[in-house]
Order: sequence, then C-alpha cells, then structure tokens
Amino acid sequence: MNYILEAKELRKEYPNKLALQGLNLQIEPGEVFCLLGQNGAGKSTTINLFLGFIAPTSGAAFVNGMEVAANPLKIKEHLAYIPENVMLYPHLTGLENLALFSSLAGFKYKEAELLDYLHHAGLPAEAVRRRVGTYSKGMRQKVGIAIAVAKHAKVLLLDEPTSGLDPKASNEFSQLLTQLSTEGTAVLMATHDIFRAKEVGTRVGIMREGELVDVRPTAALNAQELEQLYLTYMHN
Amino acid sequence: MRLFWLLFSYEWRHFRAAKGLVLLCALLLLTGLYGIYYGTTEIERQRQHLTTLPELTRRNVEELKVKFPGPTDAGDIGYYHTTYAVHHPDAWAALSLGQRDINPYYVKLRLLGLQNQLYATDNTNPMKVLSGNFDLAFVLVYLFPLLIIALSFNLLSSEREEGILTLLLAQPVSPGVVVGAKLAFRLAVVLGLAWLLSAVGMLWAQVPLDGRVLTWLGLSTLYCLFWFGVALIITALQRTSAFNAVTLLGVWLLLVVLVPSLLNLGVAAAHPVPQGIELTIKQREEIHAGWDRPKTQTMNRFFALYPQWRDTATIRERFVWRWYYAFQHLGDLAVAKQAAAYANGLQQRYDLVEKLNLLSPAINAQGSLNALAGTDLPTHLKFQRSATAYHDALRAFYYPFLFRKVEFTHKDYAQEPTHTFTSQPELSTALRGLVKLLLSVGVVFAAGLLLLRARPINPR
Repeated sequence: MNYILEAKELRKEYPNKLALQGLNLQIEPGEVFCLLGQNGAGKSTTINLFLGFIAPTSGAAFVNGMEVAANPLKIKEHLAYIPENVMLYPHLTGLENLALFSSLAGFKYKEAELLDYLHHAGLPAEAVRRRVGTYSKGMRQKVGIAIAVAKHAKVLLLDEPTSGLDPKASNEFSQLLTQLSTEGTAVLMATHDIFRAKEVGTRVGIMREGELVDVRPTAALNAQELEQLYLTYMHN
Repeated sequence: MRLFWLLFSYEWRHFRAAKGLVLLCALLLLTGLYGIYYGTTEIERQRQHLTTLPELTRRNVEELKVKFPGPTDAGDIGYYHTTYAVHHPDAWAALSLGQRDINPYYVKLRLLGLQNQLYATDNTNPMKVLSGNFDLAFVLVYLFPLLIIALSFNLLSSEREEGILTLLLAQPVSPGVVVGAKLAFRLAVVLGLAWLLSAVGMLWAQVPLDGRVLTWLGLSTLYCLFWFGVALIITALQRTSAFNAVTLLGVWLLLVVLVPSLLNLGVAAAHPVPQGIELTIKQREEIHAGWDRPKTQTMNRFFALYPQWRDTATIRERFVWRWYYAFQHLGDLAVAKQAAAYANGLQQRYDLVEKLNLLSPAINAQGSLNALAGTDLPTHLKFQRSATAYHDALRAFYYPFLFRKVEFTHKDYAQEPTHTFTSQPELSTALRGLVKLLLSVGVVFAAGLLLLRARPINPR
C-alpha cells in the first residue's frame, strides 16, 4: 500500500521535554485523519515534522513516499498547510496574498481564477481588494483556505483550521474538506473540536503526552462515544 | 531563480508599504546630496583661496618695488618678500575631504627659518574642525551602515513575529532563497543609492573618468556588502527583531566608533611623536640664541655645511643679512632630528593603522577613500616635503645674492622660484583597502552562511 503520509517511529525530543515518542502513522489518499488531544499532546509537533519545520530526533516522516528530511522542498509541492492563525502580508490585499503564495507554489492563475478560489473559500467579494491588515481573523483564515485549495496539494495539513471561523464558515469548511477528500486529497487535521472530527474525519487518533494512544475509524463511533473515549484518555 | 525574482519583486511591494523606510532612504539621499554639496563647496573655497595667493605675492612684489625702487640688498627682499607653497586639491578631494580641513593646504614662506613657518599656519576654526567633515565619504562610511541596519534588522524576524513565515516556508521555496531575495533587494536599494550619490558626486566634482571611478565604486560596494554580511550573521542567529536591532547597532558602535577610538589611543601610545609646538619653540630659542653667539662661530658652522660660500668676506659689521639667514638656517638644522621624528612618527602611526585597519572596515574604507582622493596623511607629508624643497630652492636662489653681495634688481623678482603641488592619489593604499574589504566581506558572509547551515531557519 502506498501511503501519502507516513510516520515511522517518529520521535522528537527537546532538552527538557519529550514532544513525540515513536509515532507510527499511515494515512491513505482521500483519508481525513483527525488528531485529538490536549495542548502539548504532540499534535502540532507531528504536523511540523511532516512540514519539515523541525527535524526529528529519530525515526522518519514520509510524504508521498519521500522522506521529509531528505526532500525538504520536494515534499512541500505535495503539501498545503493551514495554521491555527493564518497570518498574511498585511499591506497586500487578499487577492495579492493569494497570487503571491500560489506563485510560490508554482501556479500562475488569472485574476478571475484567484477570485473564484477566494469566493469558494467564503471571503466576501468586497474584501478581496482590501488590505489584509483590515481583515478579521476569520477572513484571514478564509484566505488561508483559498491558498491551500489553490495549491491542489495531495495532502492538507491543518492545525486547528476552523479557529476563528463562525459556525456557518466552519460548516462550509467541513463541506470543502469532504469534497477534497472525495477527490483524493488526504487530510491530517489537529483539532480540539471532537464534533468536527467526527463530522469530517474518516479516522481519529487520540494523542496524549506525545504518544498516539488510540486510533479509531469515525464510522464506528457516534459523537458521544468519541467524546467519552477522548475524556477517558484525558482523565487517565 | 523564478522564485528568487518573484520574492524580489514582492520585496519591492513590501518596501513601498513601509513608509518609514522609504522616508529614511529619501532622507539619506538628501543627506548624501548635502555631503556632496559640502565637499565640493569646501574644495571650491580652498581653490578660490589658493587662486588669490599669486595675486597676494604680486601685490607684495609691487609694494617691495615701491619700498626699494633701485637695486638693493637681497636680504631686505628675502625678509619682506612673502611667497607661498600651495597644495592644490585633486578633483576627488571634494568627495572625501580627509585631512584637508585640519592640515594646511598652503604655507606662507619667507627666507627665514622654515620649521616655525611650516607649523605656524592655522587657517581653520578648531571648533569647526571638531565636528568633522560632512562629505560624501562620511555619508557612505558612517551613515550608510545605519540605513543597512534599518533595512535588515528584521530581515526574517518580522515575518516570524507576524506569523507569516510558517505559511511562506510551507511553500516549496528554500529558506535560503527567501533570505537571499530579501538581502538582494535591500542590497539593490542601498547600492542604488550609493552609486547614484557617487555618480552625482563625481559629476558635480568633475572628477576625471579613470580607474579611480571603479575603485571608488568597488570600495563603497564592498563596504556596503560587509554590513549586509553582518546583518546576515545576526539574521542567522534567528532572534527577535529587538535583539537584532540592538546587536547591529552595537556592532556599528563597536566598528565605527569604539575600535577607531581605541586604535587611535593605541597607535598614539605605540608611536609617540614630539609636539609641533615643542619643535617650534626649540627652533625659535636656537635662532634667538644666534643673535648672541659670536658671528664667526655661526658662520663656521654654516660654512661647514655650505663650503661653497666659505671664501666670502669675514663679517665685521654689526649686522649683515647673510649672517642673519645663516643662523636662521642653523635654527632649522638644530631641530632637524625632531622635525624628522615628527614626520616619521606620523607616518609610523599611519602605517600601524594601515596594518590594523582590518579590525574596522570603517577605518579601512575611510582611509582608502581618502587615499583615492589624495587627502590622506601621506599626501600631506609629501606636500610638507615639497614645501621644504621649495624653501631650499628659495635659499639657493637668494644665497648667491647674499654671499656674492650681488644687488637684487626689479627684474630678479621674475627669476624667483615658485611652488605648486597637486595631490596625487595613493592608489596602492586604496587597492590594498579594496582587497582587505573583500576579505572582510568574505569572512562575514562565510560566517553568516555557516550559521544558516548550522541552524536551519525555524519559521516559529
């Protein structure tokens, strides 16, 4: 089986903290894998290791079969990333930011296409030509989503992506993820939102103190059961 | 390269949006133009002053012709006649005034003892000298690093602090390309300004278009590159913008203010030179003592040096000019060692600074630009030697009149030697400075790149 994302005994240790201990994880194309866990559980560390932002202490992360440490640039062609708090160049408009990041990813879009991406991400038409410095957090998040979608990546790495989005926008984002996953895009999403995880995820993994302590298919659990499972791990 | 140019072009947008930086660049441009104006005005003032000196000499001759209408004793003419040793500036001096403000650019000479005349000239208000020159070289050497610091202190840190770097480095773009494009854009802005100001300065000062143009541009380019290299090192440490700003300003203070001051103290201690005033007083005492010494003693000492005049008549009069000029000259010879020690001491200090200026590229750049413009200490010492040779020529002209008792007529004024000296560039010094700057640039960039390699850029 060719996994689009894979972690083999992935470990990250800081001088006074073990952030991730021997993570083994495989994600297939079209799968939405939600990482649940408290702050400091290792969710963001996992995403940062897949992005190559930090180097593993031992073990390896693979994207589309390529080891991240050995192919730091190549793997980013296959990844799109939406952080918890999307920050953009404040003096550029939403449209200009999208044009810049798309160009960096190797895509040269016409203005109409860029507008279309922003529209589908839910950014109001009146905002697209406004400086991002005037945007709310939610509006920036929508530009971040447009940047990720416009990249046509095989993998989406999401770190609390709906943070700052209103319920309607969060719902639209969930629909977008579902649509992308049906098109074959794999998603690794770190989140605190159990209900969103249940809604969009195909599998959920629960992390505690740097360890992936449980992985379940979401189809096998309802929201209450997932919540109960999560709380059980958190209280143990 | 596509990504490099893409980021480079967006840097222009970021730069335009940062109104403070645009304003700072405009301010530095105006400051540079003022520096050019200051330098060219000062050199023009010196030139104007120098053009009046022949007229002063001519008027002096006219007055002497009235005072001494017929043939007269040459001793009277030598005593009352004033002439000048003049140091004409090179056109480049307008861009780097160097020591032309503190060292005299002409020496007023009579046939009397030379040494007190060499050091008697003080034609500048010391309070004005205290503030230093505000020429283009000053702007390039002292103010441009501040612009580079203002442009580069937050090269990556601002994007990290604003959270943009995570999204940026999540794209398939190497951190090295991001840093390179940012650095290259800032370099283009700074070098654009430096070259523009240099071009304006060269046109304004009407410098000859020879190899020195390239040397000047090379020196200013490498000096700016050095500061960008320092900024690269600080960027590679990946600390906060505040840390970077304070550290870069600290480095500026160290290399531009502290090291030069310490070097100045160090070379002064290593090569003490006798004070000019001590030399002048000793020479004056020697000359005054000449009035009281037996004339035969004075003349025998003089004839030992100039045996060609030994057969001139024994002095029996109470006063004769040849005796007077003989003890004037012996006064000079009495302090010859001190005069040589003074000049040698200054040269040794200069040479030591030349050896140690690798410690401060600011000193190196300033010294090299001065050398290029012919406004450095060696040029001044050359002028002093030239003035000394001129005084020798004056003595050689008047001695036959004095010792052969030939009367000085009006037509003899035209035979009197004249003096001119024009600064020549110390090209070898400037080129050595260029090589040393290249070395400094190599060191800082190598250190910066090694640091970047050792500490991969963390977007968080």
